[in-house]
Amino acid sequence: MLKRTVFIVLFLLANLSLMAQQTVTGVVKDSGGQPMSGVTVLVPGTTAGTVTSENGKYSLSVPAKAAALRFSFIGYTTLEVPINGRSVIDATLQLSATDLSEVVVVGYGTQKRGTVTGAITSVSSRELTSLPVTTADQALQGRASGVTVFNNGSPGTVPTIRIRGLGTMNSNDPLIVIDGVVSNGMSNLNPNDIESVEVLKDASTTAIYGSLGSHGVIMVTTKKGKLGRTVVDFDSYAGQLWNNKRYDLMNVDQYIQYASSADVTSPPPVITDAQYASRLHGANTNWQDKIFQKGMMDGINVGVSSGTENGAYRISGGYTKSQGDMIGTGYDRYNFRSNSEYKHGKISVGENIGVSYSTLHPLQSAGGRSLIQHAIKMAPYLPVYNPDNLGGFQGPHSAVDGQDAENPVRVATMYQDDQLTLDLLGDIWAEVEIIKGLKFKSVAGMEDIRLIDNQFQPAWNDDNLPGGATHSNANAIIGKNMSNYRSLIYTNSLNYAVTFAEKHNLELLGVLEYATIDRAFTNASSQNTISSAIEELTSTTVSVSSASDHYKRIGYLARLNYNYDQKYIFAASIRRDASSRFGSSNRWGTFPSLALGWRLDKEAFLSNVTALSNLKLRASWGQAGNDNIGNYSYASTLTSNMYYVFNNQLAPGTTPSGPSNSGLKWESTSMLNFGVDVGLLKNKLTFSAEYFKNKSSDLLMNLNTAASLGVFNGSVAKNVGSVETHGFEFQLGYNQAEGEFHWSANLNLGTSRSKVLDLGGLASVDPGSQWQNQPITRLEVGKPLFFFYGWKFDGIFKSNEEAASYLNGGQLAANGGVGAQGGDYRIVDVNKDGKITSADQTMIGNPFPKMTLGLNLNANYKGFDLSVFIFGSYGNDVYNNTYYDLTGMTRLFNASVDVLRRWKQDGDVTDIPRPSAAGPNVQISTRGVEDGTYTRVKDLTLGYTLPSRLFGNYISKFRVYVSGQNLFTITKYKGLDPEVGFYQPAGTTVGYIGGGAVTGNGYPLVNFATGIDYGIYPTPKSFVGGIQITF
Amino acid sequence: MKIIKYLSLPIVFGLIVISDSCNPDKLNLTNPNQLQPETFFTTENQVKSAVNAIYGSMQTTAMYNRHIWFGNDNMAHENAGNPQLEADKRQYLNFDFDYNHGAIGDYWESCYRGINKANFVINNKSIIDNIPEGQLSPAMKAKYDGEAKFMRAMYYFWLVTKFGDCPLVLEVPSDIQGLARSPVTDVWAQIESDFTDATTELRDKADEELGRATKGAAWGMLGKAQLFQKKYAAALASFNNVTGYSLEANYENNFLEETEHGPESLFEVEFNVAAGNSARWNSGVSDAGLNESCFRGQEYGCMDWFNVFPSINLTSEFEAGDPRYGFCFYVDGEKYNSGANTIAITPLAQSDGSTYPRIGWKKYQNYYKYASESTVSPGQASGINMKVLRYADVLLMRAECKANTGDLPGAVADMNIVRARPSVNMPLYGTPEMDAIYPVSTTEEFMVALEHERKIELCGEQVRFSDLVRWGRLAPFMAQLKAGNQLPIKEKADLKFDPVKNQLWPIPQREMQSNSKMTQNPGY
Repeated sequence: MLKRTVFIVLFLLANLSLMAQQTVTGVVKDSGGQPMSGVTVLVPGTTAGTVTSENGKYSLSVPAKAAALRFSFIGYTTLEVPINGRSVIDATLQLSATDLSEVVVVGYGTQKRGTVTGAITSVSSRELTSLPVTTADQALQGRASGVTVFNNGSPGTVPTIRIRGLGTMNSNDPLIVIDGVVSNGMSNLNPNDIESVEVLKDASTTAIYGSLGSHGVIMVTTKKGKLGRTVVDFDSYAGQLWNNKRYDLMNVDQYIQYASSADVTSPPPVITDAQYASRLHGANTNWQDKIFQKGMMDGINVGVSSGTENGAYRISGGYTKSQGDMIGTGYDRYNFRSNSEYKHGKISVGENIGVSYSTLHPLQSAGGRSLIQHAIKMAPYLPVYNPDNLGGFQGPHSAVDGQDAENPVRVATMYQDDQLTLDLLGDIWAEVEIIKGLKFKSVAGMEDIRLIDNQFQPAWNDDNLPGGATHSNANAIIGKNMSNYRSLIYTNSLNYAVTFAEKHNLELLGVLEYATIDRAFTNASSQNTISSAIEELTSTTVSVSSASDHYKRIGYLARLNYNYDQKYIFAASIRRDASSRFGSSNRWGTFPSLALGWRLDKEAFLSNVTALSNLKLRASWGQAGNDNIGNYSYASTLTSNMYYVFNNQLAPGTTPSGPSNSGLKWESTSMLNFGVDVGLLKNKLTFSAEYFKNKSSDLLMNLNTAASLGVFNGSVAKNVGSVETHGFEFQLGYNQAEGEFHWSANLNLGTSRSKVLDLGGLASVDPGSQWQNQPITRLEVGKPLFFFYGWKFDGIFKSNEEAASYLNGGQLAANGGVGAQGGDYRIVDVNKDGKITSADQTMIGNPFPKMTLGLNLNANYKGFDLSVFIFGSYGNDVYNNTYYDLTGMTRLFNASVDVLRRWKQDGDVTDIPRPSAAGPNVQISTRGVEDGTYTRVKDLTLGYTLPSRLFGNYISKFRVYVSGQNLFTITKYKGLDPEVGFYQPAGTTVGYIGGGAVTGNGYPLVNFATGIDYGIYPTPKSFVGGIQITF
Repeated sequence: MKIIKYLSLPIVFGLIVISDSCNPDKLNLTNPNQLQPETFFTTENQVKSAVNAIYGSMQTTAMYNRHIWFGNDNMAHENAGNPQLEADKRQYLNFDFDYNHGAIGDYWESCYRGINKANFVINNKSIIDNIPEGQLSPAMKAKYDGEAKFMRAMYYFWLVTKFGDCPLVLEVPSDIQGLARSPVTDVWAQIESDFTDATTELRDKADEELGRATKGAAWGMLGKAQLFQKKYAAALASFNNVTGYSLEANYENNFLEETEHGPESLFEVEFNVAAGNSARWNSGVSDAGLNESCFRGQEYGCMDWFNVFPSINLTSEFEAGDPRYGFCFYVDGEKYNSGANTIAITPLAQSDGSTYPRIGWKKYQNYYKYASESTVSPGQASGINMKVLRYADVLLMRAECKANTGDLPGAVADMNIVRARPSVNMPLYGTPEMDAIYPVSTTEEFMVALEHERKIELCGEQVRFSDLVRWGRLAPFMAQLKAGNQLPIKEKADLKFDPVKNQLWPIPQREMQSNSKMTQNPGY
């Protein structure tokens, strides 16, 4: 159906005619003598052009006065050949790893790679689509130095992206710009529609985004039509996902042995009471196996593009579907895109429109526990199903089984949660060349995202023993939630590019931008006491709420780029932004930047070093901002959530929420960057290095008001925090493109370290309870952002005597105020004051990697291609909170087999503490901290391109491939997956699109919860086969 | 020409946006989800709603929902603790609370939140006065101001009697910095000033909605504030202005849900289970959400949690045959729930093998109509209002003023009105029968009798501890308890009363940490 539509459009558009004058023909080959298809052949300075066919041939009508032909192909050095009256011109293109004339997308324009002075990493479409990922942001992992991506194994879940580490306790999210339009994200884009992604990292590239740029910018350029004949790309893949890794849990016999032991929290009736014997021996369920399954993924993409001197277009459609390897999860998405461009004289107009429609089934959770936590805790003797129970599932009965885990199969499959998202993203633009070199461009962009979340839970009852089930749901619960996001952005720019006295190249840019974002959400739920057959709202037990917010921004930008003979390069920009998120007194912010570049290889004193093809030194400085702090924070409000009773009737009360801070302003980041680019042997070997140092200040923090001021909110937002971040980035590439055997290797790595300089006078900030009323992460002056905080675990006391003598029995604070016993944690007296107090809690880990690495190896021989992509994350810690479920022993849940070697009596030497209902041995400590370092073969792909002669003229490329993902991982981490990102339970309501969960004191939860394994969805392994055909 | 035609469209469009963007008003957005203080106080409903909020702070768990009665009744040892009494409430008995005590911090903050809500109304008087008279009469504008001032003075009264010197916050704050403490004399002056304003601005009880502050309540509280400063003549004048009130014929009616706001009631804290109580557990300081019921029945109830019970020190104070004993307490074997159930209380077993007699509280309990608190949905919820000031208290305070201004006969007469209540009808002071036990021929003798009478009449009503402090009787009383045998053994052993520090509560740690100008009370 989709295919047919595409072809109809194709045939309609293919009738665009070409005008001809005189004809030049020829063949384009690569340095190995192979014909190259798809090479653009252009007459410079005119609109005449074409692309080569599958056998490298081209035929072009050129104006009579044309002097030369230009041959260009991505990844190859552009070649210009004088015509000199010839009618046959053959050409040979040389492969180049980094083509310095290659065009790089920067904010509000493009730049040649050779004159770039900032820190920009480009990721090509080939890299983005080499892995069968469902969303493009997932594919960024390991592709660009300095970009850290925390993926989640759940299909369709948006990853966390950090550029150059962390810089604030507030939003660290980078800005996403798609075809020049600021977007809410790139998760809804089809990776196959992406031409390139540029990651802007330093001030000289991000400061032009002013108040939005301080955490880096990801510029996405979608594929456009190219000059030449009509090209149809088709690709399709299908594959399987799986995960065989499991925790080693007790089976029924082991569980009975454990639960009947005298030292374990008093045995439940199911163990001691004969009448439950049949219950105890009814099943031997491996609950982990029940929540994992073989998942599948498939996808199909079709793109059609064409172009003439008067216009070009590309239209595409795609469909992707994944069923996760954990039950109940899935994601599918339809994408449509149309990009086109038309020229008429000095005027060009165009549009880029993308539509996506997706359905997400998120990983379910229940009762504050993740699905994996329930699977660990569930009693192994309980069966999954029991037809006698309403709903057909079996769960524990607290009074009989002594525990309250929930049947994870019921949780994952009975709760329906369909999140339907429609995302319309696009822009229309017009450009006029007023005089030569002076262009006025106007772009109107918009994004409209509509999320509809349909939730349904039928009535069920997990157990039919007398006294009522521990878990049951008497009525069907229906939830209908909606959230809208609409952004409009209007950009006008004037650009003047001129070369004078041959060597002075000057480009001036002025931009005016106006943007709005309007958001709203509505949540509604009800219950149906009579039937589980109706999935629509009824009037019983209704709960409804809604909210909306609005945002406006105005920006002015001026930029100057100058270079002398492409040797001495200077760039400067200044942007002024005003945002409605701030009070009128501090609404405007100014963001300058400066950059210098020096191409040493162009200097006479290096001209005789023939091996050197590029040597550039770069330096930049600038300031960018962050206004991503929530709307209306500066304004004071009233709260009407107060009540009293007068005349025996409820009466509402209203009072101020708290003082406003009308002086609230941007968070600003000063960025310093030094870089060097080296190209050797005609850029066969390339190297670049960067050093950066960012200092964020005016970070927004909520400072407590004096209790005696009686303020409802209890805090006021102030620009007081400061953080410093620095790091290095390296890229090393080697590209052997001669002969029949081509190979290339690209290595990138990035480091970053953050340090908190100021918390507005506070010594530390913690996010409130993250586990058992304790925080796990923390902010502290002088320490990295969001480090793990807790006790230092020093083994298990062998005996009561040893516990009592340690620090004279002074281990009270860590044991909940009682003396430690044999089998309890021994805590290190960090401050050596002879007793354990809260002051002995300290930094016990850092979840943010010290270094991430990506290594890409490619080899081609004749039609075969092989690529290996390795990703590594080094120096990060994981707080493995599942240790609580596996060996916590606070209640009679199932647990790891390790609990069988727990401390039982005086003299036992073991690493597993005694069972204790009070939980002194589950305090946040180094016992939960594990080295999260890993190296993973993310992808291994073998492909074969069939010789084009097999298919005649209609098919120019036919490639088949097989690919395996995440097949090998090297790690010491004991959990299911070392890639521990941000775990957030699926909710029963929706909030603002683009807004995330926050901690009790108002900071984004993602900052404080990344790197904590609450039973996070582990990354599956997968195996995929696919074909790619170009017609 | 053609180019100009093509150019004109984007340029014109661009100019529109430029002129549009230059308009700074574009960026002035108001939060569509919440009210703004800048545009508030334009209707009577808004004024009323801001006034309503002030009262709500009395319903937090630190205040009348839970802790204010534990704090006062336990410190005065009107209560003894059962073994299950939680540590933070036992600390009141033992006087071993410190600046980290959560409920003391919540009490401090609840009062100040109430004050901030009152300041919001009082500070905006000029805006309220701009409401057209046709929509809100000057008398009603004054009345709302009077309610705010009455409540502000109430909260300061609760603060100054427990913490001494307090920051005198009279403006809605604009920043995070707190104020330094003002001397108690300044705080009392503010309290008197606010109550005085309230006496002229407020309406009579007959004209007002049940639960709101009234003229009579303002005169009564003004007198009480003056009495606490030993300004006897002024206090007497104030009490004399409390008119239109009388004693309930039936003493018990002061503590039943059905007879709230009776003739004796000057001011009470409203509770109503039907109004909602979903937030009753988590309203420590904020009063946000519905917390319209009280834990008193559940906490004190001898057939419920039974966390505390009347101490021997209190029960032995009752003269033989005083009917108030039966109105205030349940004894083992007594019928309740309209005769349907029987009270079962056993003596408290002590560590030395002896037992300590136990009876249960009847005052403010729902047992007259329910078998237990949990039978009232959703459980742990009482709808009985708590009396802040009732006419018997006014009469006894007026008697105290008269005695201290030389009018001993008048004083005895006032005290005897309380004794002569029809349902009480106890022998009168000044008669030979009473002279044998409580003579009243001198002021000193009268004060002993008055302490006795107040201890009985107002038992379990958060009155006695402040009385002991203002009379200078706290230290001798504690010494007597420590030496005597009226307390359970453990309670006596744990009693750590320190006369230097325990006249006042500690300044909460949260205040010390958030306010650099704060100083701690002596001894803490």
